[in-house]
Amino acid sequence: MHNQPDYYIQGVLAANRLMLSRTITLIESGLPAHQELAATIIERLLPHTGKAVRLGITGVPGAGKSTFIESFGTMLTDLGHRVAVLAIDPSSARSGGSVLGDKTRMQELSINDHAFIRPSPSGGTLGGVARKTRETMLACEAAGFDVIIIETVGVGQSETAVASMVDFFLVLMIAGAGDELQGIKKGILEVADTIVINKADGDNLMRAERARREYETALHILTPASANWTPRVLTCSALKKIGLSEIWETVADHHKALKTAGEFDAKRRKQAQDWMYFLLEEGLKSWFFSHPDIKDNLPRLRSAIHNQEISPTAAAGQLLSHLSR
Amino acid sequence: MATHPEYAQWQELATKLMKGKPLDSLDWQTPEGITVKPLYTAEDLEGLENTNTLPGLAPYARGPMATMYAGRPWTIRQYAGFSTAAESNKFYRNALAAGQKGLSVAFDLATHRGYDSDHPRVTGDVGKAGVAIDSVEDMKILFDGIPLDKMSVSMTMNGAVIPILASYIVAAEEQGVAHEQLTGTIQNDILKEYLTRNTFIYPPTPSMRIVADIIGFCSHNMPRYNTISISGYHMMEAGANSVLQVAFTIADGLEYVRTALKAGMDIDDFAPRLSFFFGIGMNFFMDIAMLRAARLLWYQLMRQFNPKNPRSSMLRTHCQTSGWSLTEQDPYNNIIRTTLEALTSVLGGTQSLHTNSFDEAIGLPTDFSARIARNTQIIIQEESEVCHVIDPLGGSYYVESLTSSIVAEAMKIIDEVEELGGMAKAIESGMPKMRIEESAARKQARIDQGLDVIVGVNKYKIKDEKIDFEIREVPASVRDDQVARLTQIRATRDNAQVEKTLAELTRVAREGGNLLEAALPAIRARATVGEVSDAMEQVFGRYVANTRCISGAYASEFGTESESLVLLRKRTEEFLKKHGRRPRMLVTKMGQDGHDRGIKVIASAYADLGFDVDIGPLFQTPREAAKMAIENDVHVVGASSLTAGHKTLVPNLVEELKKQGGTDIKVVAGGVIPPKDYDYLYKRGVQAVFGPGTSVIDSANRTLDLIDEPA
Repeated sequence: MHNQPDYYIQGVLAANRLMLSRTITLIESGLPAHQELAATIIERLLPHTGKAVRLGITGVPGAGKSTFIESFGTMLTDLGHRVAVLAIDPSSARSGGSVLGDKTRMQELSINDHAFIRPSPSGGTLGGVARKTRETMLACEAAGFDVIIIETVGVGQSETAVASMVDFFLVLMIAGAGDELQGIKKGILEVADTIVINKADGDNLMRAERARREYETALHILTPASANWTPRVLTCSALKKIGLSEIWETVADHHKALKTAGEFDAKRRKQAQDWMYFLLEEGLKSWFFSHPDIKDNLPRLRSAIHNQEISPTAAAGQLLSHLSR
Repeated sequence: MATHPEYAQWQELATKLMKGKPLDSLDWQTPEGITVKPLYTAEDLEGLENTNTLPGLAPYARGPMATMYAGRPWTIRQYAGFSTAAESNKFYRNALAAGQKGLSVAFDLATHRGYDSDHPRVTGDVGKAGVAIDSVEDMKILFDGIPLDKMSVSMTMNGAVIPILASYIVAAEEQGVAHEQLTGTIQNDILKEYLTRNTFIYPPTPSMRIVADIIGFCSHNMPRYNTISISGYHMMEAGANSVLQVAFTIADGLEYVRTALKAGMDIDDFAPRLSFFFGIGMNFFMDIAMLRAARLLWYQLMRQFNPKNPRSSMLRTHCQTSGWSLTEQDPYNNIIRTTLEALTSVLGGTQSLHTNSFDEAIGLPTDFSARIARNTQIIIQEESEVCHVIDPLGGSYYVESLTSSIVAEAMKIIDEVEELGGMAKAIESGMPKMRIEESAARKQARIDQGLDVIVGVNKYKIKDEKIDFEIREVPASVRDDQVARLTQIRATRDNAQVEKTLAELTRVAREGGNLLEAALPAIRARATVGEVSDAMEQVFGRYVANTRCISGAYASEFGTESESLVLLRKRTEEFLKKHGRRPRMLVTKMGQDGHDRGIKVIASAYADLGFDVDIGPLFQTPREAAKMAIENDVHVVGASSLTAGHKTLVPNLVEELKKQGGTDIKVVAGGVIPPKDYDYLYKRGVQAVFGPGTSVIDSANRTLDLIDEPA
């Protein structure tokens, strides 16, 4: 690995695919030296970021996320956009390894010169994913990608983290048998700017339309997150490439509505503030757990709780008291 | 009948010999989940159905024909084809002169996928794993001097079935042979392509229409022709155990029957022309029982359609010995493996058989190895005297009991498939593919632990083995020859007629009608295989495979305490600490070869060992694989090759990586690569080559050695 920030910065700004990719590796790295280098790079790339449309996409497994991104992304590149797709894949809890297979379902997009797809292993911690994804997004923006799509697996907690870094959050659903709302957390619907019912084609058309109405009703009950935007429910067929331009128009409408009301910039500034708090919490946590006193005492207290010699509250109190020293 | 009167005595004797271990410790759990005991008696047959039946009569457990091999032995049908039509023709004529009875054509991957030889996506594939056919002119050369009214021809074609079958029909026409005189089989089994082999072109729905159109056309015009060969072979090769193979194959069969019925055909008009194709592996009695079970299952399940003709529910099958069971190490052992598997097929009652050549784990068969393979069957037929008695294992306590167990286990899976709405829906759900891949990962783990013995691979290994026999090479000029002929055809044909007939085919694709019938005029006008495929693709689109990968199966078969597994996980953990991320690998299968068992097993096993693994889409070009390797910033790319494309595709990948700046990304190769090509690859920047039989643990360790340089 090179250790000069300029090497990466110039590469990224020149839209060099390899340099962007290597920068992302530094961002994702667990080594302190890499993280420091990455922080410097991001800091200096920051003036070149912020101009992209940031989209978050989630959905239950089987909703057809990859096919959707394949078709939607290809449509966007046909319109002249440069699209970066950041996909977060779960790692195995047991081996720590992962199969990052989603590109296999983005066959067209993965060979498209105007697209960049990077799947990342979740690697266990939620905080890690959130930090890395945000910085990766910034690096992609600096490399000239003007649409960033962040894909998450769905039904997890990473959705809210992703929602807090994008402009527009899209939840992909399919019409299923029985309870339409099954398997999707209410919390995800609350952050959705649009719900799209995929696979609305052939025999499925009627069911998709019915599902669309049900979600519309469901959304109606929730208070919209923004005063300037009422979440829409749309249908599409990613496979048959039907309804995709309507979704892009919706993204544009949303952008315009928020921009006109001044909410767009406010949202991004709020996200930046939230981001600082998030980093503070992460930093505190990592500082705390790597503090020599904590390292010395934590294992002892943990087994003391196990042996019922101390209450969890008292143990936590003892550890936290180190903070004030 | 109750327990044998002397059973207790036997038990006592046997227990004594066990020196304190319990007798049931001799029970064997088969990969199918069946418990096999050391001894079977008459008691095991109690309550079982169908253990006392006759051949030629329902339910056909003992064979579809009343006289079986006592009347006429099975057909020796060797699958072959390579390079140009002229080369393959020469090979066929030699084989027929040497005692072979039927032909079986292997096409190259470009043809399978409906590409002409001059298409940019197929540069590494032309003439490699089969013969290149671009037009009816090639087809005529392929059958030159072979009378198609007398010779039964089997064609392994599933993707480009319409142009290939049409070319065969037109080639026959131009020999003066009428449609109704044609005998043979077209594989035409598209469902299993989505499951294992991936040589499809169109999405499932139009593909099933093609199947129905072929069944429809042939049942009217080619009454002696088998319209489909419902194939389990590729599932076995992809790692399915015997129960999975028979269950999914029968379930595929039911789906085709329903498709034809839905298209308005009468069951007895087409069901007698449905044939099957099973793969036979090294589990001797299991696969004998599997073939018997297959006939029972088909008979039982076909009854729901109320056929009047007994032939409609009679399962006839072709068999092939397992290519996967062949090893690159100590390769003459493959002759023995193939002999055993051939005997399995015979004792199971197959109607025709292909025996593999011993060198097929290394390259394409030579005249010599093909002769040994053919003679393996001739010797069983003419020297061993096994043909005199029909179903000689009928009534065997063990084989009958095993047959019933397979029927019962397979029925459970078939029921599961039926609940999902039939095989097409099941495939959509991903269930069959996951089951097969899980079975494959478990098998690999058993091999890597030495639980499943493969002589020369994980036991009785030879040091510093040297290959001392000839290996067939496909000359690079094959593609040039094909391209030259294509150019010539396009220059000399009536292009207006070609365009008119292709437009009509597109119209039929869009508006309805029989596609095979509509393709015939285009083929007669010298439209190419690629053009005919494109004419339909305009309406149907090209299908993109949905690749999923299971995880955990490899490690779970290993058991968490296995030392080599623990050590490797420790190594990947250390790698993570040292480099800040896990070792990351892209596994890719470039070219038109869709056999993805290798990359799936590798991906799933490496993830279980603590790697982050990216899987490239099927049919990638080297440039596309390099782009992906760079975007994902992998440490290493593992390229799998099974079909002789390694000498072009893998070095191209190294070049592309360089061109795109990824000079430090390592490239390793695996699959069917002849050892004599290793040096060629090393010289072109490939860092390691893993031949068939390399344990996953070994290859993972060597891969880590390559990439674990100081940070």
